[in-house]
Amino acid sequence: MKRIIEGASGLVLAVVLHTVLGKVSPPLLVLFNAFSWVVLFFGLTRHEVFGALMGTACGLVQDSLSLGIFGVGGLTKTLLGFGAGYISRKINVTPAGRTFVFVIVLAAVELALWKLLVLFLFGERFAEGGGLVLLQPLATALMVTAAFQVRRRREARRA
Amino acid sequence: MKEKKRFLLLLGLVLLHLLLISVQVPRGDEPTYFERALFSIFGPVEHGVVSFFRGLKGAWQGYFYLRDVQQQNQSLRDEAFELRQENLALRNLLLGFQGSRDIQSLLSTVSRSILVATVIGIDSSQVYKSIRLNKGAKDGVRRDMVVLDRQGRLVGRVVEPITRGESRVQLISDEDSGVGVVTRRFRVVGVLQGDAEGRCRLKYIVKTNKDVQVDEEVLTSGLDGIYPSGLPVGRIMSIGEDGDLFKVIVVVPHFDISDLDQVAVFTADLRGLS
Repeated sequence: MKRIIEGASGLVLAVVLHTVLGKVSPPLLVLFNAFSWVVLFFGLTRHEVFGALMGTACGLVQDSLSLGIFGVGGLTKTLLGFGAGYISRKINVTPAGRTFVFVIVLAAVELALWKLLVLFLFGERFAEGGGLVLLQPLATALMVTAAFQVRRRREARRA
Repeated sequence: MKEKKRFLLLLGLVLLHLLLISVQVPRGDEPTYFERALFSIFGPVEHGVVSFFRGLKGAWQGYFYLRDVQQQNQSLRDEAFELRQENLALRNLLLGFQGSRDIQSLLSTVSRSILVATVIGIDSSQVYKSIRLNKGAKDGVRRDMVVLDRQGRLVGRVVEPITRGESRVQLISDEDSGVGVVTRRFRVVGVLQGDAEGRCRLKYIVKTNKDVQVDEEVLTSGLDGIYPSGLPVGRIMSIGEDGDLFKVIVVVPHFDISDLDQVAVFTADLRGLS
């Protein structure tokens, strides 16, 4: 039950962050993807099953708030959540530097996969915001690493 | 959970998404019930967030930050005065072309059909594709209604899903959008399509056509059967050529997505009035 509440809170937080960013400045949405932050965070902390489920939920909510093809975001984010959880169980990504590199690689792969699906399968172009979208993995890595390290230190202090 | 079961779950989720994607193919741009359900759940969340921040801003600007309010008030009074005079002059001018009763009914139809809506969200996957409004079916919003910005410039049209309290608008900068347009000076007719980067392309103007010029205003033609004619759309930024039969004409839309706080939805069909 606790996990369901955590997941639901994460999902609502992603929608709230997305709305606030869109209100502050719409082009910021090209750079910051709050849905990816939430999926990666839960993938790293709760591993692959929860990561994949959060990916499905966040991806489908993101798709429902978009005029694009429903299901593409869900598919890429499911793979992202599962990948984050599965790999982080196999290799140690706990130190901040490793978390950062790991997240940047995963975020870049997810972005590339989404772009490939949108471009080649559905023939749609992609808002790149003058190259700003290429910095999206970097922004995602910064946000997720910060959140992950804060959580890790808080847990260490409790222990 | 064993590793095999985890991969089976992943496979199940992937198949679910592939199913959701393939279900849409025969439906075209019609959203599935599942998508509608998610939209109706999370639309109000956005609605609430925007209302909260608007409330905060309103409290701050209405009770604390009152600097220059007197000056702004005076400038708005002046503007309202000028607009009233302009309105009166235009009404009198119109009377010269049509009967008084027709004009009164036309003007009252126009003023009754304007619904002011607040933008509560921007497209979550592609910024220049769509926006979401805080007005829905209960306010009279229907599919294909025309949406304009504060200055009366074309923004887009209402598309599905439309829930009770929220609706979605396809922007003219969306790659899948098509608007029948005409240039102001030489009345060259074409189709305006978004380029997914916030600009548009004026299509199907043959290379031999010399009447299209940079900086020229583009208006709706009314030929698409959705938008009424004469609405300001954008301005031609550049004209180029490629190996194709047609010119490559880039149009910058007048509306600014960063400035889209409130919009006007036309709840009546304005095509007959133009």
